[in-house]
Parts: sequence; C-alpha cells; structure tokens
Amino acid sequence: MLSAKDLALDYRTGGSVAHAVDTVSLNVGRGSFVGLVGPSGSGKSSLMYLLSGLKRPSRGAVSFEDRDYANLSGAGLMRLRRRRFGFVFQQHFLVNYLSAFENVMVGAVERDHDTAAYAQALLHRVGLGDKLLKRPYQLSIGERQRVAVARALVHRPAVVFADEPTASLDQATGHEVVNLLADYRRSGGGSLLVVTHDPAMLSDADRVLQMRDGRLMAA
Amino acid sequence: MTNPLSLWNFYFRNKRKVLPVIGILALAILGVVVTDSLLASARETAYATFGSYQKLILVAPRATRDQDLANPLQDSLTRLHDVQLQVDTLDGPGGITSYYNAVVALPAQVRAQLPAVQRLQVDSANARYYAGRLRGDLVPLGDLIVRVQRLQSEQQAFNQLVTQLTQNPNDPRPLITYLQQHQTFLRSVLPDSAQLGRLQLAVTSASADANGLQQSLQAMNRDTANLNSAGQNVANLPLPPSPSATIDQFRSALDRLTASLGSIEQPQPGLDKLLADSAHIPGTALVKRDAYSNLDINLLAGNAQFDLYGIDQPGMTQLLTLYGDRVVAGRLPRQNASEIAVSEEIARARHVSVGSKLGNNVDELDRLPDAFTVVGIIGGPTRLGVIPLDYMTEHYLFERRYQGLIVIPQAGHAQTVHDELQRLVGDQAFRLFDWPYIKAKIDSLIANLDSINRFLILLVTLVLSLVVGLLNNLFFRQRMNEFGLLAAVGYSRWGLIRRVALESFGVTLAAWLLGVGIAVAVLSWFNTVFMVPHGLLMNVFDWNVLALHTLPIPLMVFLFGMGTVGWQLLRLDPISIIERRD
Ligand SMILES: Nc1ncnc2c1ncn2[C@@H]1O[C@H](COP(=O)(O)OP(=O)(O)OP(=O)(O)O)[C@@H](O)[C@H]1O
Ligand SMILES: [Mg+2]
Repeated sequence: MLSAKDLALDYRTGGSVAHAVDTVSLNVGRGSFVGLVGPSGSGKSSLMYLLSGLKRPSRGAVSFEDRDYANLSGAGLMRLRRRRFGFVFQQHFLVNYLSAFENVMVGAVERDHDTAAYAQALLHRVGLGDKLLKRPYQLSIGERQRVAVARALVHRPAVVFADEPTASLDQATGHEVVNLLADYRRSGGGSLLVVTHDPAMLSDADRVLQMRDGRLMAA
Repeated sequence: MTNPLSLWNFYFRNKRKVLPVIGILALAILGVVVTDSLLASARETAYATFGSYQKLILVAPRATRDQDLANPLQDSLTRLHDVQLQVDTLDGPGGITSYYNAVVALPAQVRAQLPAVQRLQVDSANARYYAGRLRGDLVPLGDLIVRVQRLQSEQQAFNQLVTQLTQNPNDPRPLITYLQQHQTFLRSVLPDSAQLGRLQLAVTSASADANGLQQSLQAMNRDTANLNSAGQNVANLPLPPSPSATIDQFRSALDRLTASLGSIEQPQPGLDKLLADSAHIPGTALVKRDAYSNLDINLLAGNAQFDLYGIDQPGMTQLLTLYGDRVVAGRLPRQNASEIAVSEEIARARHVSVGSKLGNNVDELDRLPDAFTVVGIIGGPTRLGVIPLDYMTEHYLFERRYQGLIVIPQAGHAQTVHDELQRLVGDQAFRLFDWPYIKAKIDSLIANLDSINRFLILLVTLVLSLVVGLLNNLFFRQRMNEFGLLAAVGYSRWGLIRRVALESFGVTLAAWLLGVGIAVAVLSWFNTVFMVPHGLLMNVFDWNVLALHTLPIPLMVFLFGMGTVGWQLLRLDPISIIERRD
C-alpha cells in the first residue's frame, strides 16, 4: 500500500553532504504495524517525512496506493496527508485556546455530527470522556498526548505516522499511548508506522525495522 | 458542527490579545476623525464668520492703525525722550546744579580770604609808613654828605700848600694863607654836638625804619602769594553748559508731536471723494461710510477678528435686509450711542446677551474701544455685527482717522464693481477686501493645518502599522506551533494565510467600526456641549471624514500585518517546528 523504492535523502550543509536516508526500499501493507528503531541520527525521522510526503526525496520513489508522490503536486501531497494520514509527534502540538474536543476536531476532514460523535467516542476511549472541554494547559502531559492521538485518528487515516510519540512520557503512559494506536490498527482502522527508541513499545508490531546511518538493517 | 478554527473561536478565546489591538486601532481612528472633523469645522466656521464678505467689498485705509499712528508719534516721542535725557544731564551732576553749588560756595571762600587781605592792607600801610619815615631820616644825613664833599676840597688845598712849600720853603705866605683859610674851614666843616646828636638819632631811626620797611615788604609778598593761590580757586569755577542746542531740539520735537497729533484727527485723505465716486460705479447697490472695528473670537484654528460695521442707522437696516438677517432680541444700536448688535453665534462665542458689554475693556484683543453695550441679537444666515458710525467717529480719534467704505455690489456685479473700485483707489492708501480674497486667506490658513493633519495621519498610520504589525508578528510567533502542526497534517498554505487574513481583517474591521462609532458619539457630544454654545460649526456625520480619511489606518495595518505574517507563513517549514524541542 505504502511503498518506497531506493529512497535517499541528502542534506547539504556547506560543502559536506549528509546521507540522512540512504537507498531504502520498504513496503508497509494495509493494516500492518511497522516499528522503526535505531540510534539517534540514524535517519528514522527523515524516512518518515519522506514516506508521509512532508519532504521530497533526493533520489528514489515513494507511492501510496500505487500513486507515485513524484506525480503529485505540493497541494496533492497536502491533501493526501490531510485525508489519508494521521500524525503523532513527540510533542502534542495542541492549540492552546481550543478544548480537548475542539483539538480533536482540528484533525477532522468532515465536520458533521458523526465525526463529532466519533471524536467524543475517541476521547472516551483514551480515557478523557470527562475532560472534553478542558484546555490543553488543564491536562497532564500524558493526557495531552492522548488528545493528540485522538486528533490523529479522528478522520480514520489509512496510515498513522508516529515519531517518538512516547518520548516525553513515562513508560506506563507511553504504553497506554502506543496501545491506543495499536487498538486503532487492530480495529481495522489502518496501518501504523511508529518510530521509537524504546523497543518495549513495539510488542504488538508486525515488523520492527532497524536503521543505522540511513540504511535499513534486518532486525 | 462548527469549525474549531473558526474566527469566532479565535476572537472569543483570544479576547485578551485581540481587544487591546482593537482598542489601539479604534483610538487612532477616533483621533483621526476628531482632528479631521475639527479641521473641517474650523474651515466652515471661518467661512461663516467672514460670510458677510460674500456680498460686500470693504475699502479700508491701507496702513494699519498701528503703523500709521505709531510711527510719527513714536518718532516724536523718541526725540522728546532724547531731549529729556539731555535736559537731565544739564540739570544733573556736572551740570547746572554743580555749577550752582560752586557759586553758592563762593562767598564762603572769599570770606576765608579776607583776613589775608586785611593783613596785606596792614602790611602795606606799615611799609608806607616806614618808607615816609626813611625819607625824613635821610634829610640830616644829606648835610653830612655836603660836609664830606667840603672835606675833599680841603684835601686839595692842603696838597697845593705842600707843593708851594716844597718849591719855596722860605716863603711863609702860602702857609699863613692856608692856616687862615683852614681855621674858618674847620669851623664850617666840623658839626656841633647838637648837630651830631641829631645825626645819630637820624641814623638810628633810619636803620629801624629800613628794617620795618623790609619786614613789611616781606609780609606783603607772602600775603600776595597766599591771596593769589586762593584767588585761583575762584577762577576755576566750572563753565556753565551751553543750553541753546538742547533747547532747540526740544522745541522741534514738540513741534513734530503737535503735527502728528494734528494729522491723526483727519480721516484718510481721499475718502470723501472715493465715497462720492464709488456711488456712481454701475452695478453698485449701496455705498456707506464704515468706521469698522472688530471683536476677538475663537475659531478653533486660533483666534480671529470678527468684523463689525460702523455705519449709520439706515445702513444697519439695509445691511440686515441684504443678508436676510433680522433682529431676534433687543434692537439695533441707536444714533450716537455706545451700543452694538451682533449675530447670535458671535454672542454665544463671546458669552454675551442683551445688556452685556463687548470691547477692549472686556477683552483686550478686541479692537472695539472701551465697552459697548449689546442691545440687539441678530439672527439669520449671515453673521453680522453693527455699531453706530457717528459714535465711533465722534468719540474716537482712531476711528475718525480709520474709517473706510463698504461698497455693496448688485448681484452679479461683484467683479466689475471691484475692478472699478480698484481703479478709483489707484495708488491712494486704500485697499479692498472682498470674498475671493478672504476665502483664499482662510483656505491657505486651513491648507497649512490640513497638511499638518495629513502628515499626522500618515505618521499615525505608519506607526500604528508598525506597532500592530509587530504585535501581530508576536502573536503569530506564539502560534507557530499551531501553524506548524496544521501545515504538517495537511492544511494548505494558502488556506492558513486566508485564515490569518480573515482574522486580521476581522480585527481591523471591528476596530474601524468601533473607532468610527465612538468618534460619532464623541463628536456629537462635543458638538452639543462645546461647538454650538461657542457659535462654532461642525458636521458630525461627514462621511468624507468618517469613511475615506479613516480607512488608510485599518488598510495599512492590515496590509502590513498580512504582508509580514503571510511571508512567514509562505516560508513556514513544518518540520523545523516539529523537530524543535522547547
Ligand atoms: N535540516 C537538516 N540539515 C542537515 N542535516 C540534517 C537535517 N536534519 C537531519 N539532518 C541529519 O540527518 C541525519 C538523520 O537525521 P534524523 O532526524 O532523520 O535522525 P533520527 O534517526 O530521527 O534521530 P533522532 O532519533 O535523534 O530523532 C542526522 O545525521 C542529522 O544530523
Ligand atoms: Mg527523529
């Protein structure tokens, strides 16, 4: 469904070239949970940006549902991210003047009653059923990250990209957050691509890929 | 289901950030509207104040009172002052006073010399006495001298006897003759004791007298030297100053003063002829003598002189009819009375009503002399003020000198009458004031204020654009995370820009509406409590001001804010925000 072929990303700083991603080929099947681990600076985030269309590759190709990103305009890629992908980052990036519920609705594509009901259900499911109207600054860090997960899921994305979603959480809370994502995948929502430093988070993963110096190693 | 990123959410949830911006902008717009309206009001009020010129031409003596009067008078007075200074020095120290003091002191000085003079008298009397005596003393001595001469001839006779006896020693006759002769001779030559006593006395006395004479002469010398040195002080008395030049200047200065005072009493030469001639200009409706004066009134743009017409009683009625004005309270001024009637706006501006006083005694900026009683209030489209011609010219020197004419052309003849008047005036010391001239003056005055005002609006707009733009940028930076996330999850760049633009637009629109609304409220209030009571005109709903002049502020603020924020949004790299660790 989401596949990469000979993907490479170079960063040019001054005279030197950093090969952040170096000839990576990869296939993420529908409904699969792929974990991505590796040391700091090994290119995990870079690879995710390429796969989600946040960055254009230096070489190689990415395609989603057989559509090559190279054939999509910037606006096309945006639409893809908006409608088909979900994102969870290390920080929650909640809008601080909106309630938990409204923050979830920021991710919604359609703003109808069904979506609103679904957003509320998601918040219930992440354990924030009684905090729908709380502002981010009234929530704990773990709660904020759970709102961010709900926001990433509210439009039922085909792929959820999560880049170190647990890094700023303690292990128990981290587990809860990853479990929320795993639940979504299990309930047939879509594929998961989770970058983490903590292999323990990937107990449910179908595949765990190891990255080193921009290359994928067999795990 | 509403969009959580709706404008309403944004405004409502960010009140504390949005309201100050709206407040600042609204205040600025309020300021612009108020200054603009006051400026427009100043112009309209100025037009209304000088509105009477729309139907008449004022012929005024060219020189202002001050120049024409002050110069000759001042010149004479300066001269007088100079002379006064000279007279002061004449009388002061070193002048006549000190001379007088010296002369007064003279008797005392002379009296001090008197003893010396008396001593001189005594001494010279003594000298004369001794000299007389001395002459007497010398008489007996003269006899002695004769005898000594005889003794010398006896010596010759003896020498002759010796010679004869040597030649003829044996001849005794020469000897006998000599001896006979010598006996009588000796008897005659030798003085007797009485004679000798007298002689001694004479010598003693002569010596004493000579001594006395000598001492007397010495005393006289001394006395004379003393008197001479004392006498020199007397001769040293200061010379009295020569008075003739000063007194001549004094008299000529007085003459000039008299001449200038005399010239002031006459009207400007040529006025009577001009009065007669201008009545014959075709298209002239009315010509009146005018002992004009004026009142000081406030026009917002500064104080102005409201012109009063000093005309005769029929003229007052004609003037009111001409302008469609009428007396709404009281009456017109009576003949030869210290009375005045003014329009109600002027009365309001000066806070007077029937029975109040106006004039230089009340407000020193008024040209109207003394204090005139307000006897009438005039209502109608044109602001007027009238005072009696006869009272002005008979009671005030200046007004007699500085009367002019008002010439009222028939409708449509203003220009031709003006030109003909100008020709009649020629190079005489009169000048014409008509509506085009007055209006141009007002316009140029307002134009200056107008350009200052425009500059201020420009400045306010620029400063506000900068300030609000910077505030916008500050808020925007605080919301970087929000925009970074939205861009990352697929919100389109132009969509975000549109959203920020709508937010800014909403803020500026709200500020504009608020500012204009407050401005209308403030102006209405100000109009009722200040402008109308002071006889000032203001159009509260001047759409030109309210709409056009205020728009640049929100527009500039919006464009500047959007320019900077939009630029940042276009360059926004969501990854850099996501990767940022705060
Ligand atoms: N903007 C950039 N300019 C230059 N080099 C970059 C840039 N971003 C990343 N890199 C380099 O690319 C390489 C891969 O970076 P990347 O962020 O993908 O690693 P990572 O595996 O996600 O590391 P971490 O676990 O610390 O997040 C690193 O060597 C990094 O220094
Ligand atoms: Mg990373």
